[in-house]
Amino acid sequence: MTAPTSGVTPSFDPSRGPTPRRKRRFLDANDAVLARVLLAPTFLLLLVIVVYPVCRLVWTSFLELSLTSGLPPRFAGLENYVSLATDPEFWTALTNTLLITLITVPAALIAGLALALVANLPFRVRWPVRLSLLIPWAIPLAFVGMIGGWFFQSDYGLVNDLLRHVRTTRIIWFNSGWLSFMAICLTITWKTSSFVALVLLAGLQTIPDELYEAASVDGAGVFRRFLSVTLPMLKPSIAVAVIFRMITSLQTFNIPVTMTRGGPGTSTVTLAMYIHQNTVDFLDLGYGSALAVVLFLVSMAVTAFYLRQVRAQP
Amino acid sequence: MIRSARTLFVLAALFALPAHAETTLTVFISSALRPEVMRQAFDRFEAANPGVKVTAQTGGATSDLQAQYLNTVMSAKDSTLDVMLLDIIRPAQFAATGWTVPLDKAVGDRTAFLQRYLPAYAEADSVDGKLVALPAFADAMFLYYRKDLLDKYHLPVPKTWSELAKEAKTIQAGENNPDLQGVSFQGAPIEGTVCTFLLPYWSMGKTLVHDGHLTWDRDAALKSFALWTGLVKDGVAPRNVAEIVTDQTRKDFESGKAVFAVLWSYGWNLFQSPDSAVKDKVGVAELPAVDGGKPVSCIGGWQWGVSAYSKNQDEAIKLVRFLSSPEVATLLAEKASLLPVFPDLYKDPAVLQTVPWLAAALPVVETAKARPVTPRYDEVSNTIRTQTNAVLAGSETPDDAATQIEARLHRVLH
Amino acid sequence: MKLPAPAALRRFAAFAVIVNGLFPAVWIFLTSLKTEAELTRIPITWLPHAPTLENYVRAFHDQPLAIYLFNSLAVALLSTALTLFIATLAAYALARLEIGYKDLALGAIIAVSTFPLVTLLVPLFQTMRTLGLLNTYAALVLPYTVLSLPVCTLVLVSFFQSIPVDLENAAMIDGCSRVGALFRIVVPLSAPGVFTAGLLAFVNSWDEFLLALSFNSATSMRTLPVGITLYQGEFAFPWPVISAALVVGIVPVAALIVMFQQRVISGLTAGGVKG
Repeated sequence: MTAPTSGVTPSFDPSRGPTPRRKRRFLDANDAVLARVLLAPTFLLLLVIVVYPVCRLVWTSFLELSLTSGLPPRFAGLENYVSLATDPEFWTALTNTLLITLITVPAALIAGLALALVANLPFRVRWPVRLSLLIPWAIPLAFVGMIGGWFFQSDYGLVNDLLRHVRTTRIIWFNSGWLSFMAICLTITWKTSSFVALVLLAGLQTIPDELYEAASVDGAGVFRRFLSVTLPMLKPSIAVAVIFRMITSLQTFNIPVTMTRGGPGTSTVTLAMYIHQNTVDFLDLGYGSALAVVLFLVSMAVTAFYLRQVRAQP
Repeated sequence: MIRSARTLFVLAALFALPAHAETTLTVFISSALRPEVMRQAFDRFEAANPGVKVTAQTGGATSDLQAQYLNTVMSAKDSTLDVMLLDIIRPAQFAATGWTVPLDKAVGDRTAFLQRYLPAYAEADSVDGKLVALPAFADAMFLYYRKDLLDKYHLPVPKTWSELAKEAKTIQAGENNPDLQGVSFQGAPIEGTVCTFLLPYWSMGKTLVHDGHLTWDRDAALKSFALWTGLVKDGVAPRNVAEIVTDQTRKDFESGKAVFAVLWSYGWNLFQSPDSAVKDKVGVAELPAVDGGKPVSCIGGWQWGVSAYSKNQDEAIKLVRFLSSPEVATLLAEKASLLPVFPDLYKDPAVLQTVPWLAAALPVVETAKARPVTPRYDEVSNTIRTQTNAVLAGSETPDDAATQIEARLHRVLH
Repeated sequence: MKLPAPAALRRFAAFAVIVNGLFPAVWIFLTSLKTEAELTRIPITWLPHAPTLENYVRAFHDQPLAIYLFNSLAVALLSTALTLFIATLAAYALARLEIGYKDLALGAIIAVSTFPLVTLLVPLFQTMRTLGLLNTYAALVLPYTVLSLPVCTLVLVSFFQSIPVDLENAAMIDGCSRVGALFRIVVPLSAPGVFTAGLLAFVNSWDEFLLALSFNSATSMRTLPVGITLYQGEFAFPWPVISAALVVGIVPVAALIVMFQQRVISGLTAGGVKG
């Protein structure tokens, strides 16, 4: 029995076992060609749909291009980036975005893990639990935000209705930056824990029962088995879930827009919202593009940092 | 040989047909602004102009969603749309970006032409000395009040905000209903909140923009904030005013939870609907003035613009002239209860028969002011509404908010 | 897996999960049976006082809801199929083949997903318009495929890597081609991964609003999220009708989930992997 490879790292893994000598040479020669053929559709699609707009985006970030000025675009070098660095609203948006990521990624991970573990239990009728795992997902993102906004509304919201039994004064969630922030993080975690749960659940399925049995035989209790069998085997799935949860978290847009519209004031504006504002509302394409490039750089930095942590572990 | 020549001739004639083919004009309108009544206007135009067909493209229910769509499509210089229905805050932006064409050549003397309309539209639709859009229908903010409650406590319709506060407190104390709000107005980070800020500011006689330059009066701004926060502190306005969007005001007033409401004209019909808890109990009046100030309202309404990328600009301009004529204004008023843009129609007996409340609406729309007419209005709106929202939520001091607004407006308006 | 906890605890956990997941959906359903007037009551009511189906009637009458639903389903299914196909090929290359630029390729794929869609909006609109694809399914299927490719590829990579090479080698010794081995051995054994990736792609496509608003603006081609916003008035937001539309929108997806949840979560009973 070969132990499955761990980690999502694509580098060559010697534990994969020997390949037959006879075929190996033949395969080696064609591997390169085959690889190109298999990867071609992906990169073709990415080229047309993403790379071209992104190149335009990067180019535009070096221009002064504001449609409402009626002036033609002017090459401005790093001017947009300089304005960005001195724009307090940008820093607010960036801070908010990073905070949301810092809070909701671990929260969704923990919640998703819990949900996946429960869904993996051998119930007689399994579909209700699995359905409830995935239903949060079936509600379109924009409406999750609107529903969240409604649940936390001070007069007609569910949350205050439940709290009514515990305290007499109403909490006005959206009067406070912190409470609004909490409400948003809660809603995001609720919606995205489904995504994490799904990825982790699939990962749980690949763990062979024998490993648990072996650990059991060695005298390991429930918790010990979880720590020594489940978690290590889930590392690749956790890595995938975390990377994409992080990336989407840095792009949080729909939920704050529909829940608080960035309020009170600008305390719940995220970077993606600020980009949208500048690009689509203010039509300041130069500045909006620069903001988007910064978001990209931040995302890559965060992802690279995380990947290095994942690879560093044995 | 003759036969092939004849065939050639027939073919040539067939290919020459486009010269007499139908022109199709595509009009972008809101799905929420009575498209079926607009269709009747389009039908009349088609009848009067054979050879032209008008198709409507409905998109977006709210002003924001429509703007998102239009901004995307027009940035890409798309030529599908010929005519667009624009929220009053947008013509300046669309003119500056070159997305609409000036309509001066179609109307002759701009000033004389615009005199027929409500005064605020002359201001809103002229940008840099050019006519950029023509008014479709009007809207303004009104003071709705509970006739029955004012009668019960023998109170007149308030003329100033202090009077309103006093009357509201009296009624609230008398009714002994903890859920009864004195006045409902909008404080969420929405467009309507810009009006919330501007109403007292304007009432003090100040303007925000003069000749394209910023004329900021910090004192007036602080007094404007103080007016609203004062109402909240006194319990006349609810503490969660920073959550209140336009329709929440409507719903609260309609279910009998507010004595006064600051709201657009759409509320009137809904308040008179059979499901309404306040049917036949509602009066409408001018918004109160600040002490020592003048009553003023915020003008709304929608404008027709012609796309600069349209392939049928001449016909499109003709259509827009027709759609902004008294005939169509009467149609919209009678069939869709949309406020007319011509002051004369408010006194027209035939129209008043179908829409009697126009008589009360006239003084309001005549004194309504337009929000700053600038291509960068979105930025102006953004800073005013977020700062006002922050002040109302208590998350920022009025001083800081005023400073921020001024700084931002300086950058945008110079 | 050994049962880790007493039955009562397990049942409680299941209950908690069910409440957490279904609660908002149930709330939306209850709202869809209420009237607008009932929603303005303080304190709020949970169960409808006078349940009515009027909202569902209005939902279908005010907008062509069935068409929106069909469009959303079509776009989601098409983009899911396309994503799965392309991602499977790419994931196999990245998981199995020894190529020098593997890290670079993976990095590029992840990097692509870090650009928010709003920044690609106008250029993509122009591209679609030039290609004449506006108001077609293709206008949305292609971007949605790109949207889900990164996450689906990575999920599949980690699944493919967990399958021992011996099986494919055995098949290839028997004369199977590499690609044949991919589709006959690797994919079936990765069924949970494939269905997971499929669900991910499906929901990404189902959720999307921004592109759908701009690209498919014709009524006949509109998708569900965009269509539901049209129940609003200029200011009015009729929760009961919108809730009814949301319920109509969720039910087919829920049905799909129930149908496929067994596949997503099937154990690897094929026996090929475990010993």
